[in-house]
Amino acid sequence: MEKSVNNAITIDSVSMEYQTAGGTKRVLHDVSYQVSEGHFVSIVGPSGVGKTTLLRLLTGLATPTNGSIAVRGQELHGPPQGMAVVLQDYTRSLMPWLTVAKNIALPLKRSGLSKSEVAERVMSSLEEVGLSGSGRSYPWQLSGGMQQRVSIARAIASRPSILVMDEPFASVDAQTRFDLEDLVLKVRADFDITTLMVTHDIDEAVYLSDEIVVLRGSPAEVREVVSINIPFPRSQVASRNDPQFAHLRTHVYALVRGLE
Amino acid sequence: MRRAWRWVIAIAVAGWLPVFFIAWWWHASANSKNPYFPPLSKIWTEFKANWIFTLVPVHVVPSLINLFVGFAIAIVLGIGAGTLLGASRTGARYTEPLIDFIRSIPPVALVPIFILLLGLDAKMRIASIAFSATFPILLATIEGVRHTNPVLLETAQTFRLTNQQILWRVRVPYAKPTIFAGLQVGLQIAFVVTIASEYLGSGFGLGAFTLNATDSFLIVDAWTGVILLGVLGYALSLVFDAVERVSLRWYYGQKKLA
Repeated sequence: MEKSVNNAITIDSVSMEYQTAGGTKRVLHDVSYQVSEGHFVSIVGPSGVGKTTLLRLLTGLATPTNGSIAVRGQELHGPPQGMAVVLQDYTRSLMPWLTVAKNIALPLKRSGLSKSEVAERVMSSLEEVGLSGSGRSYPWQLSGGMQQRVSIARAIASRPSILVMDEPFASVDAQTRFDLEDLVLKVRADFDITTLMVTHDIDEAVYLSDEIVVLRGSPAEVREVVSINIPFPRSQVASRNDPQFAHLRTHVYALVRGLE
Repeated sequence: MRRAWRWVIAIAVAGWLPVFFIAWWWHASANSKNPYFPPLSKIWTEFKANWIFTLVPVHVVPSLINLFVGFAIAIVLGIGAGTLLGASRTGARYTEPLIDFIRSIPPVALVPIFILLLGLDAKMRIASIAFSATFPILLATIEGVRHTNPVLLETAQTFRLTNQQILWRVRVPYAKPTIFAGLQVGLQIAFVVTIASEYLGSGFGLGAFTLNATDSFLIVDAWTGVILLGVLGYALSLVFDAVERVSLRWYYGQKKLA
Protein backbone atom coordinates (compact mmCIF):
# COMPACT_ATOMS: atom_id res chain seq x y z
CA MET A 1 0.00 0.00 0.00
CA GLU A 2 1.12 3.59 -0.66
CA LYS A 3 1.95 6.03 2.06
CA SER A 4 -1.48 6.74 3.49
CA VAL A 5 -0.38 10.27 4.45
CA ASN A 6 -1.04 11.42 0.90
CA ASN A 7 -4.47 9.87 0.77
CA ALA A 8 -7.48 11.98 1.58
CA ILE A 9 -9.74 8.94 1.59
CA THR A 10 -8.76 5.27 1.83
CA ILE A 11 -11.34 2.68 0.85
CA ASP A 12 -10.18 -0.73 2.03
CA SER A 13 -11.91 -3.93 0.78
CA VAL A 14 -15.37 -2.47 1.27
CA SER A 15 -18.44 -4.63 0.74
CA MET A 16 -22.03 -3.59 1.25
CA GLU A 17 -25.11 -5.77 1.64
CA TYR A 18 -28.75 -4.86 2.02
CA GLN A 19 -31.50 -6.98 3.50
CA THR A 20 -34.39 -7.08 1.05
CA ALA A 21 -37.62 -9.04 0.89
CA GLY A 22 -35.89 -11.53 -1.42
CA GLY A 23 -32.94 -12.04 0.97
CA THR A 24 -29.53 -10.48 1.16
CA LYS A 25 -28.50 -8.29 -1.75
CA ARG A 26 -24.80 -7.61 -2.17
CA VAL A 27 -24.31 -4.23 -3.82
CA LEU A 28 -20.56 -3.68 -3.52
CA HIS A 29 -17.89 -6.36 -3.42
CA ASP A 30 -14.35 -5.86 -2.18
CA VAL A 31 -13.94 -2.27 -3.38
CA SER A 32 -10.52 -0.75 -2.66
CA TYR A 33 -9.34 2.65 -3.80
CA GLN A 34 -7.34 5.59 -2.53
CA VAL A 35 -8.29 9.18 -3.25
CA SER A 36 -5.09 11.21 -3.41
CA GLU A 37 -4.96 14.55 -1.64
CA GLY A 38 -6.06 17.37 -3.94
CA HIS A 39 -7.36 15.12 -6.70
CA PHE A 40 -10.66 15.36 -8.50
CA VAL A 41 -12.09 11.84 -8.73
CA SER A 42 -15.27 10.80 -10.51
CA ILE A 43 -17.11 7.55 -9.89
CA VAL A 44 -18.95 6.28 -12.96
CA GLY A 45 -20.78 3.10 -13.83
CA PRO A 46 -24.07 1.83 -15.29
CA SER A 47 -27.20 3.06 -13.54
CA GLY A 48 -28.10 1.10 -10.44
CA VAL A 49 -24.57 -0.27 -10.07
CA GLY A 50 -24.08 1.13 -6.57
CA LYS A 51 -22.39 4.50 -7.14
CA THR A 52 -24.65 6.30 -4.70
CA THR A 53 -24.25 3.49 -2.16
CA LEU A 54 -20.48 3.93 -2.31
CA LEU A 55 -20.90 7.68 -1.90
CA ARG A 56 -23.13 7.21 1.15
CA LEU A 57 -20.42 5.04 2.68
CA LEU A 58 -17.76 7.65 1.94
CA THR A 59 -19.76 10.39 3.63
CA GLY A 60 -20.41 8.31 6.73
CA LEU A 61 -24.17 8.33 6.14
CA ALA A 62 -24.01 4.52 5.91
CA THR A 63 -21.61 1.92 7.31
CA PRO A 64 -20.10 -0.83 5.15
CA THR A 65 -20.91 -4.48 5.89
CA ASN A 66 -17.23 -5.40 5.52
CA GLY A 67 -14.03 -3.46 5.13
CA SER A 68 -13.29 0.05 6.27
CA ILE A 69 -13.12 3.61 5.06
CA ALA A 70 -10.69 6.14 6.49
CA VAL A 71 -10.56 9.88 5.96
CA ARG A 72 -7.02 11.22 6.56
CA GLY A 73 -6.17 8.01 8.37
CA GLN A 74 -9.18 8.24 10.72
CA GLU A 75 -11.70 5.46 10.35
CA LEU A 76 -15.19 6.77 9.61
CA HIS A 77 -17.94 6.78 12.20
CA GLY A 78 -20.58 9.11 10.85
CA PRO A 79 -19.98 12.20 8.71
CA PRO A 80 -16.39 13.38 9.25
CA GLN A 81 -15.15 16.85 9.99
CA GLY A 82 -13.81 18.77 7.01
CA MET A 83 -16.04 17.07 4.46
CA ALA A 84 -18.90 18.81 2.70
CA VAL A 85 -21.58 17.03 0.71
CA VAL A 86 -23.70 18.23 -2.20
CA LEU A 87 -26.65 15.97 -2.88
CA GLN A 88 -28.33 15.50 -6.23
CA ASP A 89 -31.72 16.65 -5.12
CA TYR A 90 -31.07 20.32 -4.46
CA THR A 91 -34.77 21.13 -4.30
CA ARG A 92 -35.00 18.93 -1.23
CA SER A 93 -31.59 19.51 0.34
CA LEU A 94 -32.02 23.26 0.89
CA MET A 95 -34.26 24.24 3.80
CA PRO A 96 -37.25 26.01 2.22
CA TRP A 97 -38.02 27.97 5.41
CA LEU A 98 -34.60 29.61 5.49
CA THR A 99 -33.31 32.35 3.22
CA VAL A 100 -30.32 31.58 1.04
CA ALA A 101 -27.99 33.30 3.50
CA LYS A 102 -29.36 31.35 6.47
CA ASN A 103 -29.14 28.09 4.54
CA ILE A 104 -25.46 28.76 3.94
CA ALA A 105 -24.94 29.64 7.61
CA LEU A 106 -26.59 26.43 8.87
CA PRO A 107 -23.52 24.14 8.60
CA LEU A 108 -21.52 26.73 10.57
CA LYS A 109 -23.65 26.24 13.70
CA ARG A 110 -21.03 24.03 15.26
CA SER A 111 -18.00 25.86 13.90
CA GLY A 112 -17.60 28.21 16.87
CA LEU A 113 -17.36 31.20 14.53
CA SER A 114 -18.68 34.54 15.74
CA LYS A 115 -21.77 36.12 14.24
CA SER A 116 -19.76 38.54 12.12
CA GLU A 117 -17.41 35.79 10.97
CA VAL A 118 -20.40 33.70 9.90
CA ALA A 119 -21.85 36.67 8.01
CA GLU A 120 -18.50 37.19 6.32
CA ARG A 121 -18.30 33.49 5.33
CA VAL A 122 -21.82 33.63 3.90
CA MET A 123 -20.96 36.71 1.85
CA SER A 124 -17.72 35.33 0.48
CA SER A 125 -19.31 31.95 -0.32
CA LEU A 126 -22.13 33.63 -2.22
CA GLU A 127 -19.59 35.73 -4.06
CA GLU A 128 -17.58 32.63 -4.98
CA VAL A 129 -20.59 31.07 -6.73
CA GLY A 130 -21.69 34.36 -8.34
CA LEU A 131 -24.84 34.91 -6.26
CA SER A 132 -23.85 37.99 -4.24
CA GLY A 133 -27.28 39.59 -4.50
CA SER A 134 -29.40 36.57 -3.58
CA GLY A 135 -28.76 36.13 0.14
CA ARG A 136 -32.19 37.35 1.16
CA SER A 137 -34.13 35.30 -1.37
CA TYR A 138 -35.66 31.95 -0.51
CA PRO A 139 -34.24 28.95 -2.37
CA TRP A 140 -37.53 28.19 -4.08
CA GLN A 141 -37.54 31.66 -5.61
CA LEU A 142 -34.39 30.77 -7.59
CA SER A 143 -33.89 28.72 -10.75
CA GLY A 144 -32.60 25.15 -10.51
CA GLY A 145 -29.08 26.14 -11.52
CA MET A 146 -29.03 28.93 -8.93
CA GLN A 147 -30.29 26.57 -6.23
CA GLN A 148 -27.45 24.20 -7.00
CA ARG A 149 -25.04 27.15 -6.76
CA VAL A 150 -26.48 27.81 -3.32
CA SER A 151 -25.81 24.23 -2.24
CA ILE A 152 -22.23 24.58 -3.52
CA ALA A 153 -21.88 27.84 -1.57
CA ARG A 154 -23.26 26.11 1.51
CA ALA A 155 -20.74 23.29 1.02
CA ILE A 156 -17.73 25.61 0.81
CA ALA A 157 -18.91 27.87 3.66
CA SER A 158 -17.38 25.48 6.20
CA ARG A 159 -14.08 25.59 4.22
CA PRO A 160 -13.95 21.82 3.77
CA SER A 161 -10.86 20.02 2.56
CA ILE A 162 -12.98 17.33 0.90
CA LEU A 163 -16.06 17.92 -1.24
CA VAL A 164 -18.35 15.01 -2.15
CA MET A 165 -21.09 15.42 -4.77
CA ASP A 166 -23.79 13.01 -5.89
CA GLU A 167 -24.79 13.70 -9.51
CA PRO A 168 -24.78 17.40 -8.71
CA PHE A 169 -25.82 18.59 -12.15
CA ALA A 170 -28.28 15.85 -13.09
CA SER A 171 -31.37 18.01 -13.20
CA VAL A 172 -30.25 21.26 -14.84
CA ASP A 173 -30.17 22.19 -18.53
CA ALA A 174 -27.04 21.71 -20.65
CA GLN A 175 -25.83 25.33 -20.63
CA THR A 176 -26.25 25.62 -16.85
CA ARG A 177 -24.45 22.33 -16.51
CA PHE A 178 -21.35 23.66 -18.29
CA ASP A 179 -21.40 26.77 -16.10
CA LEU A 180 -21.67 24.69 -12.93
CA GLU A 181 -18.87 22.36 -14.06
CA ASP A 182 -16.57 25.34 -14.49
CA LEU A 183 -17.73 26.72 -11.17
CA VAL A 184 -16.75 23.47 -9.46
CA LEU A 185 -13.31 23.58 -11.12
CA LYS A 186 -12.86 27.16 -9.93
CA VAL A 187 -13.95 26.36 -6.38
CA ARG A 188 -11.64 23.40 -6.28
CA ALA A 189 -8.69 25.49 -7.49
CA ASP A 190 -9.49 28.44 -5.19
CA PHE A 191 -9.77 26.35 -2.04
CA ASP A 192 -7.54 23.40 -2.99
CA ILE A 193 -10.31 20.89 -2.23
CA THR A 194 -10.10 17.15 -2.80
CA THR A 195 -13.26 16.44 -4.79
CA LEU A 196 -15.24 13.27 -5.29
CA MET A 197 -18.18 13.13 -7.63
CA VAL A 198 -20.65 10.47 -8.66
CA THR A 199 -21.97 11.04 -12.17
CA HIS A 200 -23.59 9.16 -15.01
CA ASP A 201 -22.26 11.67 -17.53
CA ILE A 202 -18.99 10.34 -18.94
CA ASP A 203 -18.06 13.57 -20.77
CA GLU A 204 -18.48 15.46 -17.55
CA ALA A 205 -16.34 12.95 -15.67
CA VAL A 206 -13.53 13.23 -18.23
CA TYR A 207 -13.75 17.01 -18.33
CA LEU A 208 -13.51 17.48 -14.57
CA SER A 209 -11.40 14.63 -13.23
CA ASP A 210 -7.83 13.67 -12.50
CA GLU A 211 -9.00 10.09 -12.16
CA ILE A 212 -12.13 8.14 -12.99
CA VAL A 213 -13.17 5.05 -11.08
CA VAL A 214 -15.33 2.72 -13.18
CA LEU A 215 -17.66 0.46 -11.20
CA ARG A 216 -19.18 -2.56 -12.91
CA GLY A 217 -20.94 -5.80 -12.13
CA SER A 218 -23.43 -7.06 -9.61
CA PRO A 219 -22.21 -6.82 -6.92
CA ALA A 220 -20.14 -3.92 -8.20
CA GLU A 221 -16.35 -4.03 -8.24
CA VAL A 222 -13.77 -1.51 -9.39
CA ARG A 223 -13.44 -2.37 -13.07
CA GLU A 224 -10.67 0.09 -13.81
CA VAL A 225 -9.16 3.36 -12.62
CA VAL A 226 -8.57 5.69 -15.56
CA SER A 227 -6.10 8.58 -15.28
CA ILE A 228 -7.08 11.73 -17.14
CA ASN A 229 -3.93 13.48 -18.33
CA ILE A 230 -5.54 16.52 -19.91
CA PRO A 231 -3.75 19.59 -18.52
CA PHE A 232 -5.33 22.00 -16.04
CA PRO A 233 -6.75 24.63 -16.11
CA ARG A 234 -9.38 23.11 -18.33
CA SER A 235 -11.80 24.93 -20.56
CA GLN A 236 -15.03 23.77 -22.16
CA VAL A 237 -13.69 24.50 -25.65
CA ALA A 238 -10.00 23.61 -25.57
CA SER A 239 -10.13 20.64 -23.22
CA ARG A 240 -13.04 19.00 -24.97
CA ASN A 241 -11.14 19.40 -28.28
CA ASP A 242 -8.00 17.79 -26.88
CA PRO A 243 -7.38 14.60 -28.89
CA GLN A 244 -6.96 12.81 -25.54
CA PHE A 245 -10.52 13.77 -24.60
CA ALA A 246 -12.18 11.77 -27.37
CA HIS A 247 -9.92 8.84 -26.74
CA LEU A 248 -10.57 8.81 -22.98
CA ARG A 249 -14.30 9.25 -23.20
CA THR A 250 -14.52 6.36 -25.69
CA HIS A 251 -12.43 4.22 -23.39
CA VAL A 252 -14.51 5.02 -20.29
CA TYR A 253 -17.74 4.60 -22.23
CA ALA A 254 -16.66 1.14 -23.38
CA LEU A 255 -15.77 0.21 -19.79
CA VAL A 256 -19.12 1.36 -18.43
CA ARG A 257 -20.97 -0.44 -21.19
CA GLY A 258 -18.93 -3.60 -20.69
CA LEU A 259 -17.53 -3.49 -24.23
CA GLU A 260 -13.94 -3.71 -23.05
CA MET B 1 -56.92 51.02 -10.54
CA ARG B 2 -56.74 47.45 -11.81
CA ARG B 3 -55.98 46.31 -8.30
CA ALA B 4 -58.96 48.19 -6.90
CA TRP B 5 -61.21 46.48 -9.42
CA ARG B 6 -59.86 43.09 -8.51
CA TRP B 7 -60.76 43.82 -4.88
CA VAL B 8 -64.27 44.89 -5.83
CA ILE B 9 -64.76 41.69 -7.81
CA ALA B 10 -63.34 39.52 -5.01
CA ILE B 11 -65.66 41.08 -2.45
CA ALA B 12 -68.63 40.72 -4.79
CA VAL B 13 -67.84 37.03 -5.40
CA ALA B 14 -67.47 36.29 -1.71
CA GLY B 15 -70.31 38.52 -0.54
CA TRP B 16 -73.25 38.01 -2.88
CA LEU B 17 -74.56 34.85 -1.23
CA PRO B 18 -74.51 36.16 2.39
CA VAL B 19 -76.16 39.41 1.24
CA PHE B 20 -78.77 37.47 -0.68
CA PHE B 21 -79.37 35.19 2.31
CA ILE B 22 -79.80 38.07 4.77
CA ALA B 23 -82.14 39.89 2.41
CA TRP B 24 -84.22 36.74 1.96
CA TRP B 25 -84.34 36.09 5.72
CA TRP B 26 -85.30 39.70 6.44
CA HIS B 27 -88.08 39.59 3.87
CA ALA B 28 -89.39 36.11 4.59
CA SER B 29 -89.52 36.63 8.35
CA ALA B 30 -90.93 40.17 8.21
CA ASN B 31 -94.51 39.17 9.16
CA SER B 32 -93.65 36.00 11.03
CA LYS B 33 -95.97 35.12 13.92
CA ASN B 34 -94.07 31.90 14.66
CA PRO B 35 -92.53 32.45 18.14
CA TYR B 36 -89.49 30.32 17.24
CA PHE B 37 -88.72 32.28 14.08
CA PRO B 38 -89.18 35.95 14.99
CA PRO B 39 -88.67 38.66 12.33
CA LEU B 40 -85.02 39.34 11.60
CA SER B 41 -85.67 43.05 12.11
CA LYS B 42 -86.62 42.29 15.71
CA ILE B 43 -83.54 40.11 16.20
CA TRP B 44 -81.38 42.90 14.78
CA THR B 45 -82.82 45.51 17.16
CA GLU B 46 -82.25 43.18 20.09
CA PHE B 47 -78.78 42.27 18.82
CA LYS B 48 -77.75 45.93 18.87
CA ALA B 49 -79.20 46.36 22.36
CA ASN B 50 -77.40 43.26 23.69
CA TRP B 51 -74.09 43.19 21.92
CA ILE B 52 -73.20 46.77 21.02
CA PHE B 53 -71.86 46.60 23.68
CA THR B 54 -73.95 46.32 26.85
CA LEU B 55 -73.55 42.60 27.52
CA VAL B 56 -70.10 42.12 25.99
CA PRO B 57 -68.20 42.41 29.32
CA VAL B 58 -70.55 39.91 30.99
CA HIS B 59 -70.98 37.27 28.33
CA VAL B 60 -68.35 37.65 25.62
CA VAL B 61 -65.20 38.57 27.51
CA PRO B 62 -65.31 35.59 29.93
CA SER B 63 -65.88 33.15 27.05
CA LEU B 64 -63.01 34.56 25.05
CA ILE B 65 -60.66 34.60 28.04
CA ASN B 66 -61.43 30.94 28.74
CA LEU B 67 -60.99 30.12 25.07
CA PHE B 68 -57.63 31.86 24.73
CA VAL B 69 -56.17 30.61 28.00
CA GLY B 70 -57.32 27.05 27.31
CA PHE B 71 -56.09 27.13 23.73
CA ALA B 72 -52.73 28.59 24.77
CA ILE B 73 -52.24 25.77 27.28
CA ALA B 74 -53.17 23.26 24.57
CA ILE B 75 -50.61 24.77 22.19
CA VAL B 76 -47.80 24.52 24.73
CA LEU B 77 -48.72 20.98 25.79
CA GLY B 78 -49.48 19.70 22.29
CA ILE B 79 -46.43 21.09 20.54
CA GLY B 80 -44.11 20.40 23.49
CA ALA B 81 -45.10 16.78 24.04
CA GLY B 82 -45.60 16.20 20.31
CA THR B 83 -42.06 17.33 19.51
CA LEU B 84 -40.57 15.00 22.12
CA LEU B 85 -42.71 12.04 21.07
CA GLY B 86 -42.19 12.69 17.37
CA ALA B 87 -38.42 12.81 17.82
CA SER B 88 -38.30 9.53 19.71
CA ARG B 89 -39.58 6.53 17.80
CA THR B 90 -40.01 4.36 20.89
CA GLY B 91 -41.71 7.16 22.83
CA ALA B 92 -44.39 7.48 20.20
CA ARG B 93 -44.84 3.72 19.92
CA TYR B 94 -45.49 3.35 23.65
CA THR B 95 -47.87 6.28 23.97
CA GLU B 96 -49.79 6.09 20.72
CA PRO B 97 -52.52 3.59 21.75
CA LEU B 98 -53.38 5.66 24.81
CA ILE B 99 -53.39 8.92 22.86
CA ASP B 100 -55.59 7.37 20.18
CA PHE B 101 -58.01 6.14 22.83
CA ILE B 102 -58.31 9.43 24.67
CA ARG B 103 -58.73 11.52 21.56
CA SER B 104 -61.53 9.18 20.42
CA ILE B 105 -63.67 10.35 23.34
CA PRO B 106 -65.91 13.19 22.13
CA PRO B 107 -64.43 16.29 23.83
CA VAL B 108 -67.75 17.52 25.18
CA ALA B 109 -68.33 14.20 26.98
CA LEU B 110 -65.45 14.98 29.31
CA VAL B 111 -66.93 18.22 30.64
CA PRO B 112 -68.98 16.44 33.39
CA ILE B 113 -65.83 14.66 34.57
CA PHE B 114 -63.99 17.95 34.80
CA ILE B 115 -66.90 19.42 36.77
CA LEU B 116 -66.60 16.52 39.19
CA LEU B 117 -62.86 17.10 39.55
CA LEU B 118 -62.64 20.87 39.46
CA GLY B 119 -66.06 22.23 40.32
CA LEU B 120 -68.07 24.76 38.35
CA ASP B 121 -65.75 27.71 37.93
CA ALA B 122 -63.48 29.00 35.17
CA LYS B 123 -60.76 26.53 36.19
CA MET B 124 -62.97 23.65 35.03
CA ARG B 125 -63.85 25.36 31.78
CA ILE B 126 -60.26 26.19 30.94
CA ALA B 127 -59.15 22.66 31.80
CA SER B 128 -61.86 21.17 29.54
CA ILE B 129 -60.87 23.45 26.67
CA ALA B 130 -57.15 22.82 27.09
CA PHE B 131 -57.56 19.07 27.40
CA SER B 132 -59.73 18.61 24.32
CA ALA B 133 -57.73 20.98 22.11
CA THR B 134 -54.40 19.39 23.04
CA PHE B 135 -54.95 16.13 21.17
CA PRO B 136 -55.29 17.34 17.57
CA ILE B 137 -52.22 19.55 18.13
CA LEU B 138 -50.29 16.72 19.78
CA LEU B 139 -51.06 14.23 17.00
CA ALA B 140 -50.26 16.67 14.20
CA THR B 141 -46.95 17.59 15.84
CA ILE B 142 -45.93 13.95 16.30
CA GLU B 143 -46.82 13.26 12.68
CA GLY B 144 -44.99 16.30 11.32
CA VAL B 145 -41.84 15.92 13.41
CA ARG B 146 -41.58 12.21 12.73
CA HIS B 147 -41.85 12.38 8.95
CA THR B 148 -39.11 14.85 8.12
CA ASN B 149 -37.90 14.54 4.56
CA PRO B 150 -34.94 12.09 4.71
CA VAL B 151 -32.85 14.16 2.29
CA LEU B 152 -33.03 17.13 4.67
CA LEU B 153 -32.14 14.93 7.63
CA GLU B 154 -29.11 13.45 5.86
CA THR B 155 -28.04 16.90 4.74
CA ALA B 156 -28.20 18.07 8.35
CA GLN B 157 -26.19 15.01 9.43
CA THR B 158 -23.43 15.88 6.98
CA PHE B 159 -23.26 19.30 8.71
CA ARG B 160 -22.47 17.33 11.88
CA LEU B 161 -25.31 19.09 13.70
CA THR B 162 -26.21 17.61 17.09
CA ASN B 163 -29.50 15.75 17.47
CA GLN B 164 -30.85 18.73 19.39
CA GLN B 165 -29.88 21.12 16.62
CA ILE B 166 -31.42 18.81 14.02
CA LEU B 167 -34.64 18.66 16.06
CA TRP B 168 -35.06 22.43 16.49
CA ARG B 169 -33.54 23.65 13.26
CA VAL B 170 -34.78 20.99 10.81
CA ARG B 171 -37.48 18.69 12.15
CA VAL B 172 -39.68 21.27 13.90
CA PRO B 173 -39.58 23.91 11.13
CA TYR B 174 -40.27 21.18 8.58
CA ALA B 175 -43.29 20.09 10.64
CA LYS B 176 -44.75 23.60 10.89
CA PRO B 177 -47.36 23.27 8.12
CA THR B 178 -48.59 19.99 9.65
CA ILE B 179 -48.61 21.54 13.13
CA PHE B 180 -50.73 24.42 11.84
CA ALA B 181 -53.28 21.96 10.47
CA GLY B 182 -53.52 20.52 13.99
CA LEU B 183 -53.82 23.99 15.50
CA GLN B 184 -56.76 24.77 13.24
CA VAL B 185 -58.65 21.66 14.34
CA GLY B 186 -57.68 22.38 17.95
CA LEU B 187 -59.07 25.91 17.76
CA GLN B 188 -62.40 24.65 16.38
CA ILE B 189 -62.67 22.10 19.17
CA ALA B 190 -61.68 24.71 21.76
CA PHE B 191 -64.48 26.96 20.55
CA VAL B 192 -67.07 24.18 20.77
CA VAL B 193 -65.94 23.19 24.26
CA THR B 194 -65.86 26.82 25.40
CA ILE B 195 -69.58 27.12 24.67
CA ALA B 196 -70.52 23.61 25.83
CA SER B 197 -68.69 24.08 29.14
CA GLU B 198 -70.92 27.08 29.85
CA TYR B 199 -74.11 25.06 29.48
CA LEU B 200 -73.56 23.71 32.97
CA GLY B 201 -73.57 25.79 36.12
CA SER B 202 -72.59 29.11 34.65
CA GLY B 203 -74.27 32.48 34.67
CA PHE B 204 -71.70 34.02 32.39
CA GLY B 205 -70.58 33.41 28.84
CA LEU B 206 -72.29 33.07 25.51
CA GLY B 207 -73.16 29.40 26.05
CA ALA B 208 -74.89 30.25 29.32
CA PHE B 209 -76.60 33.26 27.80
CA THR B 210 -78.07 31.31 24.88
CA LEU B 211 -79.20 28.41 27.03
CA ASN B 212 -80.76 30.66 29.67
CA ALA B 213 -82.55 32.64 26.95
CA THR B 214 -84.21 29.55 25.49
CA ASP B 215 -85.05 28.27 28.98
CA SER B 216 -86.79 31.59 29.73
CA PHE B 217 -88.48 31.56 26.33
CA LEU B 218 -86.58 34.67 25.24
CA ILE B 219 -86.31 33.39 21.69
CA VAL B 220 -85.13 36.68 20.19
CA ASP B 221 -82.29 36.85 22.70
CA ALA B 222 -81.34 33.26 21.92
CA TRP B 223 -81.16 34.13 18.22
CA THR B 224 -78.90 37.09 18.90
CA GLY B 225 -76.59 34.78 20.87
CA VAL B 226 -76.43 32.23 18.07
CA ILE B 227 -75.69 34.90 15.47
CA LEU B 228 -72.95 36.40 17.63
CA LEU B 229 -71.40 32.94 18.03
CA GLY B 230 -71.34 32.60 14.26
CA VAL B 231 -69.70 36.00 13.89
CA LEU B 232 -67.11 35.18 16.57
CA GLY B 233 -66.31 31.78 15.07
CA TYR B 234 -65.87 33.33 11.65
CA ALA B 235 -63.65 36.09 13.04
CA LEU B 236 -61.52 33.52 14.87
CA SER B 237 -60.92 31.56 11.71
CA LEU B 238 -60.03 34.75 9.80
CA VAL B 239 -57.47 35.68 12.45
CA PHE B 240 -56.11 32.14 12.45
CA ASP B 241 -55.73 32.15 8.66
CA ALA B 242 -53.91 35.47 8.80
CA VAL B 243 -51.46 34.21 11.44
CA GLU B 244 -50.90 31.02 9.44
CA ARG B 245 -50.25 32.92 6.21
CA VAL B 246 -47.60 35.01 7.91
CA SER B 247 -45.95 32.14 9.79
CA LEU B 248 -45.89 29.83 6.77
CA ARG B 249 -45.02 32.38 4.11
CA TRP B 250 -42.25 30.10 2.83
CA TYR B 251 -44.64 27.16 2.58
CA TYR B 252 -47.32 28.97 0.60
CA GLY B 253 -44.74 30.77 -1.53
CA GLN B 254 -43.16 27.47 -2.46
CA LYS B 255 -46.53 25.87 -3.16
CA LYS B 256 -47.58 28.71 -5.40
CA LEU B 257 -44.51 28.20 -7.60
CA ALA B 258 -44.67 24.41 -7.68
